[in-house]
Amino acid sequence: MRIEKHPILDFARGKKVKFTFDGREITGHEGETITAALVAAGVLTLSKSIKLERPRGFFCGIGRCSSCYMVVNGVSNVRACVTPLEKGMDVNTQVGRGEIASC
Amino acid sequence: MLETDVLIIGGGPAGMCAAIEAAKLGVKTTVVEDKDRLGGQLVKQTHQFFGSEKHHAGVRGIDIGVKLAGECSDLKVNALTNTTCTGIFDDGSVGCLRGEEFFLIHPKRIVIATGAYENMLPFPDCDLPGVYGAGGLQTLMNVDGVLPGKTYLMVGAGNIGLIVSYQLMQAGAEVVAIVEALDRVGGYEVHAAKVKRMGVPIFLRHTVTHVSGDGKVERATISKIDGSFKPVPGSEFTVSVDAVCLAVGLSPLIELIAQAGCETRYIPECAGHVAVHDSNMRTSLEHIFVAGDASGIEEASAAMVEGRIAGLHAALDVTHGKADSNELLREFDSQLDELRTGPFGQKARQGKSKLWGLKLPPDEEFEEAPPIIPESGKKPVIECPQNIPCNPCAVSCPTESITIGDNITNFPVLDQGTCNGCGNCVAACPGLAVFLVNRDYSDREAEITIPWELTPPPEKGDKGYALDRTGVAICPATVTKIRRVKKIDKKRLLVAFTVPLDKADEARHFVIVEPKGAEKIETLPPADDIIICRCEDVTQKEILDCFNSGYKSFDEIKRYLRTGMGPCQGKTCQRLILGILARELKTHVSELAPQTVRTPMKPTELEIYASSKEIEPWDFENWQPPGGGH
Repeated sequence: MRIEKHPILDFARGKKVKFTFDGREITGHEGETITAALVAAGVLTLSKSIKLERPRGFFCGIGRCSSCYMVVNGVSNVRACVTPLEKGMDVNTQVGRGEIASC
Repeated sequence: MLETDVLIIGGGPAGMCAAIEAAKLGVKTTVVEDKDRLGGQLVKQTHQFFGSEKHHAGVRGIDIGVKLAGECSDLKVNALTNTTCTGIFDDGSVGCLRGEEFFLIHPKRIVIATGAYENMLPFPDCDLPGVYGAGGLQTLMNVDGVLPGKTYLMVGAGNIGLIVSYQLMQAGAEVVAIVEALDRVGGYEVHAAKVKRMGVPIFLRHTVTHVSGDGKVERATISKIDGSFKPVPGSEFTVSVDAVCLAVGLSPLIELIAQAGCETRYIPECAGHVAVHDSNMRTSLEHIFVAGDASGIEEASAAMVEGRIAGLHAALDVTHGKADSNELLREFDSQLDELRTGPFGQKARQGKSKLWGLKLPPDEEFEEAPPIIPESGKKPVIECPQNIPCNPCAVSCPTESITIGDNITNFPVLDQGTCNGCGNCVAACPGLAVFLVNRDYSDREAEITIPWELTPPPEKGDKGYALDRTGVAICPATVTKIRRVKKIDKKRLLVAFTVPLDKADEARHFVIVEPKGAEKIETLPPADDIIICRCEDVTQKEILDCFNSGYKSFDEIKRYLRTGMGPCQGKTCQRLILGILARELKTHVSELAPQTVRTPMKPTELEIYASSKEIEPWDFENWQPPGGGH
């Protein structure tokens, strides 16, 4: 959920943009992190872990912990918590290690 | 190759201050920061800092971050954001990764100010979505303005746990409880008082034993623990929550320090392995300095002063001591001494004494001060029971009725005779620990003025309840006045409400709807194993099996199970695995070797190295700050 009123902070949000998550259309704000947009929309599971396929969600928020590795525009292992949202992005839950892009 | 005189790795409070002091001496200064802006943890600190004016007392962390970043910019510091330092090499060069671009920087001196990482607490299903580190949650909440749920359990009553609990409530969330494994609150009592009077219970000697839910946290089970931190059977209870927030300590981030070859030592008072450094912040390698949490966990105020010392010494090396900075250095040393006095500076004093080979200072006993309660008139009640280094109440007082004295950790003293009851101290106290009590409001009523930083604020005429210091509704209350003292703080409100005269010394918070405590729900059995390494999906059982097969060190287990080889490079699991090893080997973590650290600090595709190129050299002379401000 988004914090609409805060006693100390004013959130400068980018313009509203649409993107897809696992094929579903979601609205977020341009420039915010992909995870912020997803969590705001109530999406908590971002990936399934590499061996046991356990659900993983937002965790470290600084691109270190691997919990938010997602498939974005066909590219695996994108750190969604530090990647800014762009209009029309195709974001998908990553299951396991993901595909290695062919060179 | 990019050349610079002083390279600072990490653009948080320590790094920015190091850059400022180095740049002031006129040396070419570069900061490498892996986030998109300078500021480090300051970018999400909505609370006002303690200390004196020198330490930005009374200023909110976010504003300190912007101010320091501005100073860096004004001093033409080359700030390379979105850039990660991947290694420090034997020829003195430093590898940096920016996006898909790899390049080398060749500095004359390096200051490592990489900060800290959050400790993890292992329990069944601790990897479920809904278990968050306090720092991560704070980023989501205060930078992005997004909350991942409505109800929270906070684990840890140190300053971070207490502050983030309050910030969760500022953001509109509900904190069901705070659990703390120790038998006392570790953070400042004023931070605990803020959440307690809003009705958040703090369970001491309790911890979270497991969480459960369908694909995400839905319930958390809490248990009492005994003297050896083992759950007491039969004491567990379960609450319904959306999230569990872990604030169970920080560890110094010393990957680069260890990889560069600086000598490290385990110092418990510094919260882990740290670089051996002298009081000039120089490590065992002459060209490398350290500052801030990477040199031992402390408050940001101390990190900033350490940064200044490290930056100045690094720059003096480059100028071969041409500038006379002795007076400045003495000033920084005395500021650090000031911040490290009192009960909360004790750990840092002891940790640094060990590092510097000084005789350990004796453990001092500190007594808590009772609140100063004036008996008549409209006067402040100062509920500041501990010797914390802080003086904004005295600085804000127009009649000089509040005094602290020379030692900043002294308790404030109120001269009731000269105090005019203006309430500036209520607006100024960073701990929100000063209240204005007017016993002469009417024959039967007293008026209480409280500091207010919550949404939505009440309005004049609102009727509700006064809560006491433990969050219990004790009497009806009516709001009489809402105001701000803008010259002191633009955001904080002062809310005045009336209560029956005999409740004047108890009423400390106002609510419209009486708070209800958390309901206890059915406890479900815990999952039978615990994820220790999130990146590689390695469980506690696997690690124990591995240990029992003869793998007795972190590096051995790492080679066998890949723990520490994933994207986080052991930041989550190393401490946990060393803990398991220490327990099984019946020794202490200080006796165990941490993992061998090698470059790169974060997984990097080989293609990126292969295509590394020179980057545009920085024109230190003709640089102009970008037009869009900082």
